[in-house]
Amino acid sequence: MKVVTGVVGNDIHVVANRLIELSLNARGFEVFNLGVNTYLEEFFDAAVETNADVLLISSLNGEAEGWSREVKLLRSKYKTLDKLVMVIGGNLVVGTADAETIVPKYKKYGFDLIFHQVDLNTGLDTLEEYLKERKIV
Amino acid sequence: MSSEKLLIDVGSTYFKVSSASGIEQHFRDFNKEILDDLTYKCGETIHAYKKEDIYICSSANGGLSTLIIGITDSFSLKFATNIAFNSGINIIDKVIYQNIEDYSIPSDLIDVVIVVGGIDSASNIFGEPLLSYLDKLKYSNIVYVGSEQDAPKLQENIENLVVLPNIIDNRLHIVEENLKEYLTNLYQLDIEGKEDIKNLYTITSNQIYSTPYIVNQTLPFIDTKFTVVNPFILIDIGGATTDIHYSKDLVDDNIVTTNEYDRLVFKKLGVYKSKESLIFTAKNNEFVYELLTHLKVTENIFEEQSEKALQVLMQLAIFLVLCKMSHYKQAYINLKLLSINSIVLTGGITKVLADSEIEDIITFFYKKILNSNHKPSVVMDHNYDIWTLAIINNKG
Ligand code: B12
Repeated sequence: MKVVTGVVGNDIHVVANRLIELSLNARGFEVFNLGVNTYLEEFFDAAVETNADVLLISSLNGEAEGWSREVKLLRSKYKTLDKLVMVIGGNLVVGTADAETIVPKYKKYGFDLIFHQVDLNTGLDTLEEYLKERKIV
Repeated sequence: MSSEKLLIDVGSTYFKVSSASGIEQHFRDFNKEILDDLTYKCGETIHAYKKEDIYICSSANGGLSTLIIGITDSFSLKFATNIAFNSGINIIDKVIYQNIEDYSIPSDLIDVVIVVGGIDSASNIFGEPLLSYLDKLKYSNIVYVGSEQDAPKLQENIENLVVLPNIIDNRLHIVEENLKEYLTNLYQLDIEGKEDIKNLYTITSNQIYSTPYIVNQTLPFIDTKFTVVNPFILIDIGGATTDIHYSKDLVDDNIVTTNEYDRLVFKKLGVYKSKESLIFTAKNNEFVYELLTHLKVTENIFEEQSEKALQVLMQLAIFLVLCKMSHYKQAYINLKLLSINSIVLTGGITKVLADSEIEDIITFFYKKILNSNHKPSVVMDHNYDIWTLAIINNKG
């Protein structure tokens, strides 16, 4: 199972990114970590080059929403990404908001799994279950 | 300079012969073979040297062309582009495979097609659309540097396909060496394969190299001859092409490579053989008329055959090349031009333009295009010292 991950936009918060790489590796995923400061196009391009199953984006500094609005349009330009599972987590809004408002919004942006201020292990457990349910594993 | 060696550079327009007694320069006579022309004009000098003491390099053919087919801009195309530049190859076109059917087919013969995409664990990337595109394309060589899993299938279906190790490793990092060696050799073979150049082996027993290649190899030693402040660019305006060599730290790119200097060739920007296309490019640049006014000439100068006209063409070539490297004209690579501390000029230009005339153009460029008063120092290689240094350093 291949996962492309990284921190979107001009975001330099690197700690979570390192933890995510370690955790995914420990869970047996093949990880392609693009690191901090990664643009949407690079995420999708990396998914194409690696033939990845999952794209796991993190965002910590508040940029998430701005980028997420462009996800659908950009993804539609790629012809080989139909099966890609899209995950996002971290701090997904500026200020505070609860999951009930955040999750539907990000679903509309094109994400399958959304983890606003959710602990990493809880999030990754959910991801594994999701993949199992859909028989992607 | 060593006293026992004779150095010869064959260009598209003239050749230079450097011996202990100085440098001779002659325009080429295109009705004659290079060897005949050379022996006619400097036979005496040549005969005074033994075959093993004569070193020849050539830039007469202006380099190879490539078309790259990759699957993404951020990885396969970017990596292959970078390697092609490093090997002195001109990029004619880049094709994103998923949209390959939408691209028009270039009519020119392509020297080498590069096909790339996917890490080794990705498979079934290329299929029928690639084959039908290639069917319509005219090319002399084709090399595959993508996922190893697709290689056997492609090799079966594409005649004379050369397969090399993937240039993208399993962490999505670039692997340069194999493709670079292949392209450099191809370039070298192309030079040697020219009948005209082959004949030159009757006067030398040393390998004939491409001039830009050896110049590039010399850049790390440039400060043994000149006071150059890093980072710098070197501009070589020739008869058929204009070459730019630049230090890597001028490129805003996170690709990690081993080479310190890269090179770009602008194939159709020369002042003799490709004069017409230089003028064409100039006329399509919106700042050129302002530049001509600044130089106190009109566009009628393009029709003239005078010394003044040649000077203006050379000034234009400097301006256009800088434009092409700037954010103003998106080329393949944009240099951080505001960080440049020195601009080194070599080639015929140093005989035609005074330092002040070059500084004038550079100042104009920085003001107009970059809105800046930045002023890199201009270093002129009046005596072809860079070339001499290069050819001597590469003699082994
Ligand atoms: C350290 C830090 C910095 C350092 C970063 C150093 C570095 N290179 O990493 C510095 C000082 C540089 C910095 C700068 C900024 N920061 Co700061 N920073 C923090 C801080 C204090 C800790 C971040 C951290 O490393 N935590 C430890 C890691 C392990 O936790 P984490 O990042 O929260 O990640 C966990 C979860 O979010 C989750 N997770 C993350 N991604 C994903 C993905 C998935 C799929 C899942 C399931 C889970 C998941 O897993 C992780 C482990 O549980 C936080 C506040 C805080 N206490 O969280 C602010 C914080 C993230 N920063 C913030 C801001 C605003 C900034 C700046 C804009 C400040 C400024 N005005 O200049 C800049 C932005 C710089 C930039 N270009 O990105 C805000 C973001 C607010 C928002 N999103 O609304 C925060 C929340 C502070 C705050 N409360 O205001 N920052």
